[in-house]
Amino acid sequence: MDFTITEDQATLTGGVRDYLAGVHAPELLRALDASDSRRSADVWQGLTEMGLPGLLVPEAQGGLGLSLLDAVLIAAELGRAGVAEPLADTALVAAPLLSKVGGQEALLAAIAAGEAKVALQHPVNPWVADLDGASHLLSVEDGALLVAEHSGGTDLLDSVDPLRRLYVPIAPSGTAVGSADALLDHAALIAAAQLVGLADAMLEQATDYAKNRSQFGQPIGSFQAVKHHLATAVVKIEFAKPVIQRAAVALQEGAASAPVHVSHAKLAASDAAWAMSETAIQTHGAMGYTYEVDLHFWMKRAWALSGAWGDRAFHLSRIDAAVLGGALPIGPGHSFA
Amino acid sequence: MDLAYTTEQQAFRAEVRAWMEANVPQEPLVTLEREDGYHQHVEWERKLASGNWGMVTWPEAYGGRGLDLIQWLIFEEEYYRAGAPLRVNQNGIFLLGPTVMEFGTDEQKARFLTPMAKGEVIWAQAWSEPNAGSDMAAITTKAIRDGDHYVITGQKTWSSRASFADWGFGLFRTDPDSKRHKGLSFILFDLNSPGVTRRPIRQLHGDPGFAELFFDEVRVPVENRIAGEGEGWNVAMATAGFERGLMLRSPARFQAAAERLVKLFRQHEAKAAPAAREQVMQAWMDAQAYAYNTYAVASKIMAGGHIGAEASLNKIFWSELDRAAHRTAMQILGASAELRYLDGGALNTWLEGYIFSLSGPIYAGSNEIQRNIIAERLLGLPR
Repeated sequence: MDFTITEDQATLTGGVRDYLAGVHAPELLRALDASDSRRSADVWQGLTEMGLPGLLVPEAQGGLGLSLLDAVLIAAELGRAGVAEPLADTALVAAPLLSKVGGQEALLAAIAAGEAKVALQHPVNPWVADLDGASHLLSVEDGALLVAEHSGGTDLLDSVDPLRRLYVPIAPSGTAVGSADALLDHAALIAAAQLVGLADAMLEQATDYAKNRSQFGQPIGSFQAVKHHLATAVVKIEFAKPVIQRAAVALQEGAASAPVHVSHAKLAASDAAWAMSETAIQTHGAMGYTYEVDLHFWMKRAWALSGAWGDRAFHLSRIDAAVLGGALPIGPGHSFA
Repeated sequence: MDLAYTTEQQAFRAEVRAWMEANVPQEPLVTLEREDGYHQHVEWERKLASGNWGMVTWPEAYGGRGLDLIQWLIFEEEYYRAGAPLRVNQNGIFLLGPTVMEFGTDEQKARFLTPMAKGEVIWAQAWSEPNAGSDMAAITTKAIRDGDHYVITGQKTWSSRASFADWGFGLFRTDPDSKRHKGLSFILFDLNSPGVTRRPIRQLHGDPGFAELFFDEVRVPVENRIAGEGEGWNVAMATAGFERGLMLRSPARFQAAAERLVKLFRQHEAKAAPAAREQVMQAWMDAQAYAYNTYAVASKIMAGGHIGAEASLNKIFWSELDRAAHRTAMQILGASAELRYLDGGALNTWLEGYIFSLSGPIYAGSNEIQRNIIAERLLGLPR
């Protein structure tokens, strides 16, 4: 029993954070927002050179062969930086799913090389993100997960998140590579991890603002009401993190209880990010209600991801079945069983 | 990260489980906030000590087992799983014990720790004063040096266990001219010393578990001071860290409450409000989240790390989840929630628990104080 992040993991996470802080600062989000495609070949190229698409691709296919626990730590960094490119879906969701089945070595190698981008289509989501730029599509038919080559998008929808690219689903097709449930659980876990990263970034922005913005002759962060709003949000964020880590380990190990832990993680992270977004805008005051402050990019991504990959009702229903339904042993002594 | 227990940890769990199954009282004890219940709990404390389960994380030299924090968590899980009574020795186990271990002399350790581990001396805390609750640096009770003794004069209040306990520990102003955090010393005293008057205070539930203490020139030997004269504030802050942090509220307690809440909901499902269903699930999720976090903190400490202001996050989380879980139970019970005894004559433990849970966000530093600590020390906001 050891519930710690290793030094290697901390080093990797810190490296990715520093890198993204340099190449994926808020100015980049604004530049993407001003572009037609909201995507940048240069940014993708940079992420690829950093080795990010291959993090979970097996070493034999040119990746780093990392685990889902590593994936959630990295996903949080993608959330923190507000990464808009479809890196999480391709590198952190599709890659580990494809690695579990045979015959996908060429696609995995292409993912690691940054040449393949995989869009994810699942019945739990009414829309598909980044279908237009994808080279491959994972889709679901009769509960089976299929993979196929793909090109082009259909109808682009307008998301509140200016950097999110949503499309109407297309007909499923391709080779079976797993189950619909596996896709759902992996994607919900990665969404949860991004949500805590988004929450951390919003906390940082709100805290900075509270330190610098003066009213009544002093920084607003010296007022207890403001302090308490932020402290309340920190508690929610920090207690969502171990839930996500616990879910990552369960899913990595293929534990029968993994779906309920993933649902717990998704709910905890969504609650934390949602609460943090409201706290952050309140801290920013009227400035937060403008497009001029960076906050809105993170806030809107949080709204989007908390509804995607199983909304609140969906994940509560899974907790209900397991906990109230009695399928999961609960109580003292069942922290991990 | 490895979330599997080792073979040794599993064997340890089996050992605890077997002992608890053989020894935990069949009938629930009377509340330890009353004199009869207090003595029942002291008896249980001594029985635990007879099995060498009193202070499992303490060194063997002082009556412990020298176990690590993961083993402690396993012990607590089995303790609550067995439905064992609350610990009357809690102040000693979680507050004074670690303090003496860290700041006491070898002589003080030998003198105070072993009787604590054996359940021979039960401790009361004596922090607060009528005008110094959340603002503990405002205490005025004086301990004036007179040769080999301190002479204590003043008043403490809301002292947990002080109605019935044997000894107390607290902060006293040893420099009468000092202000705020300076000039304070951490002193242990016999509650039966001449000049100590205890006035039990009826708590919200009607039982007199804590007390006001009046000190009228109480003479306490200088060797009862922990750490240096005037260093009391730092010692007390370390103690408060133990209190808010890992040790006071083991996750098993909340996991047990969540499990009972799920059972209660199933019994009353047909008439429960729709929102209750989600609140019950939230109670389970929060208890689990608290458990994961506690395992994470324990792992971190075992790897040489420390817990500082993060302890305030824990304190807010467990106290608020506890209150919410018990509130949910009260709402599920509906009209029956107000009854002290439910159908069949059983004590309404949800009512008792709800009342007790209301103290969580207040004691050990109110949650407002904890939020200030988070904002100022973790987020760096200006004071």
